[in-house]
Amino acid sequence: MVELQQLRYARLITDDLRSAADFAQRVIGLEPIDRNQELATFRSDYRDYTLAFASGERAVQSVGLEVRYPQDLDAAIEGLRGLGLSSGRGSAEDCAFRKVKDMAWFMDFSGNRIELVVRPLNSGWRYFPSRDAGIRGLADVMLRTVDLEKDLSIWTEILGARVSDWAGEAAYLRFDEAHHRIALFPAARPGILAVEYAVEDVNLLMRNSYLLRDLQVPVVHGPGRRPASEQLFLTFAGPGDVLFSFVAEGVAADTEPRRPRQFPAGPAGLCNWGSECKIGEFNDAAHGRNGQAMSV
Amino acid sequence: MPRTAETAKPCRCERKVAHVIKLQDVSYVRLGTADLDGATKFATDYLGLEISHRSKDSVYLKSDQREHTLCYFHGSAADQTAAFEVAERAELDMAASELDRLGHRVRFGSEKESELRRVRSFIAFQDPTGNNIELVWRPAYSSQRYHGERDAGITGFSHIGLCTTDAARDEIFWTKVCNARVSDRIGDAALLRIDEVHHTIALFPTDRAGIQHINHQVASGDDVMRSFNFLSERQVPMVFGPGRHPTSSARFLYFEGPDGMVFEYSSGVREIADELLYRERQLPFDAKGFCEWGAKPQIKEFRN
Repeated sequence: MVELQQLRYARLITDDLRSAADFAQRVIGLEPIDRNQELATFRSDYRDYTLAFASGERAVQSVGLEVRYPQDLDAAIEGLRGLGLSSGRGSAEDCAFRKVKDMAWFMDFSGNRIELVVRPLNSGWRYFPSRDAGIRGLADVMLRTVDLEKDLSIWTEILGARVSDWAGEAAYLRFDEAHHRIALFPAARPGILAVEYAVEDVNLLMRNSYLLRDLQVPVVHGPGRRPASEQLFLTFAGPGDVLFSFVAEGVAADTEPRRPRQFPAGPAGLCNWGSECKIGEFNDAAHGRNGQAMSV
Repeated sequence: MPRTAETAKPCRCERKVAHVIKLQDVSYVRLGTADLDGATKFATDYLGLEISHRSKDSVYLKSDQREHTLCYFHGSAADQTAAFEVAERAELDMAASELDRLGHRVRFGSEKESELRRVRSFIAFQDPTGNNIELVWRPAYSSQRYHGERDAGITGFSHIGLCTTDAARDEIFWTKVCNARVSDRIGDAALLRIDEVHHTIALFPTDRAGIQHINHQVASGDDVMRSFNFLSERQVPMVFGPGRHPTSSARFLYFEGPDGMVFEYSSGVREIADELLYRERQLPFDAKGFCEWGAKPQIKEFRN
């Protein structure tokens, strides 16, 4: 079993790097770090970057997670091959492109690319945001899955994550002190559903809510509060088909292991404020679509 | 505060006050309406109050342990009254003579009126703007706790906004003739406290007399947001918020009820424990003075 250290980054593909970078900076409020013809990266906290937009042939959509040693990469690859998944080690060029010492990648059963990285770069300088959005850091990533049960087995059996709670068939996964770092949502296609940034508190969440309205950014869910994690959330459309969220408050993972709780599928299980939900995957889940049998 | 020629009518309340009227709490609001059934439906199904009792032409509604805190009666929508509780029967007589001395017409409520209001006795008068005010003694409490028609999380009727046609004059009335203190000002609108709660009366400059808004406290910020979605889905006009007041730090939501009356839910209102150390603050009369989240008011009295 591989021990995940932390969630590191989300890498997204764009064919319009200029407008994607503008969104990251002006709308989300992140600090621009590297910028060239094919890459724009953004800082949200002590990590060198947590969001990367890329275009061109080296662009991939992926989620990056840190492991501690290169041996962990070998162990992970062995386990993943045992499940019949395609995986491999990153080249020196791949590592340099991501500012990590070593890395491995694999495709889950749905086709999501996950990257495991060793010694990713931290910033020696504190985070200085483009605007006062109150961002505390990258909080979690929501992933679509076309086969939840099989994809979940990768996380729980190879990567050592545990299910915190269920919302319908969707699973919240934890591997550190947070209630969840990864959430798997049943869907008809793979891909990152949302990248979520923590903001200081409810005041910052609501200020951002009004600011997004002024900037005419479509809010697709929230402001609301998640029954499972008790997080406040505000989810809005990004420059591509990946959503972004601001989240605040929320419970930490219990120190004692506890049973995962089952919450309702769809918007009812995802917001206890009754906020309007325009996310197709969530509304489908409420009606037992997404090809998942509703067992609860 | 500069007084314009228009507002420089003789203000008798600036004379030396012989007796300060000690308001203990805001007790209830009485609102006339041409559509009693519609108003009742709003108050119960939407606002979340509980019907306490009905009379031939009135509905009395409950929001906390008190017997009622809102009354809708069949009549003109312009007929609005706010009532405050005093502690002693003698306070009513002293208040009556003081108000009379200052030139306010005072009327003692009849036994039948007192019975309908579920109070022992009361006096009625108008403040300098012409707002109908009642002072009540021994308003009834209920033996049964409040259980709303919907789970709005209401913890009680808490404060009112009052219209003022001369903010400086009325501030003097409420702070010198009565025992209110200024907690903060938004432009010339004074937020007044009569106990430790940041404000129980708020005076909003406008061109009419009447109740400007009616506030109920809810248990949490979550309740404010739940009601925002609940009421929005039912097409209740949202006029301000959800937001957070920089003055009282309360999270709020304002929406319109029957006859254009503005209702507010709020949670987390600040309390002022130390009267000696507290100093009122001046906030700008604009969206930022009313909300620190960036909500923009659609309420006439909150806009320039």
